[in-house]
Amino acid sequence: MNEKLRAYIESLFKDAPKNKKTVELKEEMIQNLIDKYNDLLAEGKSEDAAVNIAIASVGDISDLIEELNKSKTDMRSEELKEKQRRQSAAMIAISIALYIMSVIPLFILQDVNGLIFMFVIVAAATGLIIYSAMTKPKYRKLDDTLVEEFKEWKAATSVSNSTMKAISSAIWMITVAVYFAISFLTSAWYITWIIFLITAAIISIIKAMFDLKK
Amino acid sequence: MSIASDLIRGHTETIILANLLEGDSYGYKINKAILQKTGNNFELKEATLYTAFRRLEEAGSIYSYWGDENTGARRRYYSITTAGKAEYQKLRDEWGTAKDLIDKLTEIGGQGNE
Repeated sequence: MNEKLRAYIESLFKDAPKNKKTVELKEEMIQNLIDKYNDLLAEGKSEDAAVNIAIASVGDISDLIEELNKSKTDMRSEELKEKQRRQSAAMIAISIALYIMSVIPLFILQDVNGLIFMFVIVAAATGLIIYSAMTKPKYRKLDDTLVEEFKEWKAATSVSNSTMKAISSAIWMITVAVYFAISFLTSAWYITWIIFLITAAIISIIKAMFDLKK
Repeated sequence: MSIASDLIRGHTETIILANLLEGDSYGYKINKAILQKTGNNFELKEATLYTAFRRLEEAGSIYSYWGDENTGARRRYYSITTAGKAEYQKLRDEWGTAKDLIDKLTEIGGQGNE
């Protein structure tokens, strides 16, 4: 007889999305119906009567199904995403401005202090870019289906890719700045180009470390 | 009875919260408690009960967990949160106010003597 109750609940949920929430709700309802059915039997009802009373007590579940179908993305999270997007755009704009301005102390001071100053500014800008890449909102699963899991995985991969991109572009920018700084200060143009080779090697190492960590 | 049912259904959440204040419980047990308290006169439809559970859970008034019974029956229990206790007090006060007002509005002859 329990099978009859189970079959009834299954038929009620045939239009509901197939995910963890639905399965749990079904399991909960079936268990409670079986409890009720057993109580009714204990009261002396016949098996058929008990099943019918139990089934009649379920009522209209269209509201519940609707809730299960309802997408989880509400207005609040949309607004939050928009805010975060703006925030990261502002951070990137600031860091680019910092990169551009980083050469100014070098021009004004024309000595090692200027160089140190420049490095400090470049470091701040790089930190900002990396921070904004790392704090990008993660993709949240709408439900527990496989498609959503794939989307989440894809978003996670692209986040780590964009972090890597941010790091390597920052390193290249620093390299160019260092190249000019050292070259102008030492006038050793014939050898300073080696910096670019060193940078390429450093970036490969960082990339390898990044991949290993995954 | 059906008009009274409609009236009561509007307070499903208060009823559930009141039940959970007495301890963690699960769907059927709550409904059985309601049946007993009303002298077999009233029982919530399961659909109404579960819709209210979801709403309360989303609002953070209650949370659920799966109990593992040794008998093989795996039940989902509900527990009231601190926010739920505050919500209960609020709903209960609202009902008190509404009850007073409805009493006053539906009374015959007993007008205020101001």
